Amino acid sequence: MTDRHVLSIQPAEADDGDVAERVAALYASTPRPTAEQIDRCVRAVRAGSMHAPVRRSPFGIPATAWWWGAAAAAAVIVATTTPWQRLATRLQTDSTAVTAAVNAAMRGTVTSISGGAVEFDVVLPTGAKNVAIVGDFNGWDAKASPMVRGRGNTTWSARIPLAPGRHTYAFVIDGERWIVDPLAPQVEGDDGYGPANALVLAAPSS
Amino acid sequence: MMTGVLVAVGFVAQLAAGTVPPRGEAPAGATAAASSRPPTRSVQQTLPQLDVSRFDSLTLLTLRAQLDLAIENGLPTAPLINRALEGAARRASGAKILQVVRDHMAAMAHARDVLGAKSSADELDAGASALRAGIDMRTLASIRDTRPAGSAVIPLTVLTDIVRRGVPEPTARDAVAAISKMPSSDEALRGLQSTVAKNDFRGPGMAVEALNRYLRGTISGANPLAAPVSPDRKPNRPPPP
Repeated sequence: MTDRHVLSIQPAEADDGDVAERVAALYASTPRPTAEQIDRCVRAVRAGSMHAPVRRSPFGIPATAWWWGAAAAAAVIVATTTPWQRLATRLQTDSTAVTAAVNAAMRGTVTSISGGAVEFDVVLPTGAKNVAIVGDFNGWDAKASPMVRGRGNTTWSARIPLAPGRHTYAFVIDGERWIVDPLAPQVEGDDGYGPANALVLAAPSS
Repeated sequence: MMTGVLVAVGFVAQLAAGTVPPRGEAPAGATAAASSRPPTRSVQQTLPQLDVSRFDSLTLLTLRAQLDLAIENGLPTAPLINRALEGAARRASGAKILQVVRDHMAAMAHARDVLGAKSSADELDAGASALRAGIDMRTLASIRDTRPAGSAVIPLTVLTDIVRRGVPEPTARDAVAAISKMPSSDEALRGLQSTVAKNDFRGPGMAVEALNRYLRGTISGANPLAAPVSPDRKPNRPPPP
């Protein structure tokens, strides 16, 4: 490249007509390229425009740089956002919400039956596969006193022989969730294991 | 020597059967200290069995030591065994179970000091629950004053429940004590608990308001124990234009 190819243009001073004339004069003074130069230039342009053959990894994954970059970016996004943790949190929240809703909406009744037996009835707003009553009368064993499903698949009942005195109990839903009757007397709190219901049976009058 | 061997064989047989009662409940395990104290009513009750399969060995050993200590102090073991079994059923850790049992035993000892040595096991259990709920010992004493020994279970249970539901302790104490002095007041106390529980869900202060209404209806001429949080009447709304 020679000095004549250098086109100095002062934008503040030159107008468009002057620039066009100078460009045309410069083009006219350029030496014509040889056929070999034209052929070399055409081959270079064609080689650059052709697609390079795609290299593949042994697993059939394209080994181009852009693919690996996209994979790394996806890995970083997944690692930072951790969608599975949000899912676990949501499940836990749902479980807590369900327990709270069950506690708020359940209704229980305790009916004393002649013969030293007491019938426990609970109405659960959500469907449960099995419900058991646990307490000091069965060693807090969830398998000892399963409740019987009643009408509407929401009413559960159990008849427990109880001696007069004070008893504590709770309900276990599907072997996992412990709930209490929100309207029945409750004992214990955060310092213990959690709330439980209390029932005081008076001795039969002689 | 022979007696010791028999006791050991018996313990092994009970261990194989899966249930081991506290030592103090076996004749050979009764200590001199326990025999010198007046027996509580828990001894006559049907004692729950301590299912050894629910506890690890370290927890079981410590638990047995705590039960022995309770027997030596003349405290009923049935409530303690129930607390331990409840903790195991709730899958609490061994340390948590031992802590709860220890705290409950200490609370029962305090309750016996207040309620008297003639108190039943249920009374001590209810009194311990009340103390662990933060109720003052003087409040327990005032409840005892309204009821003879053996019949304060329902007042203590109701008191604990309504305090847990947000009723101030002095208000709850005065209400329970006032109703407990009435003849055949157990049903009235149950009604008090039910009323407070139903209104507790309505919002803050509703439990106290419901207690005052119930008390005015139950005891003629009773003065409100606390100022109602909101008026009973419906709010006056401006007439539609």
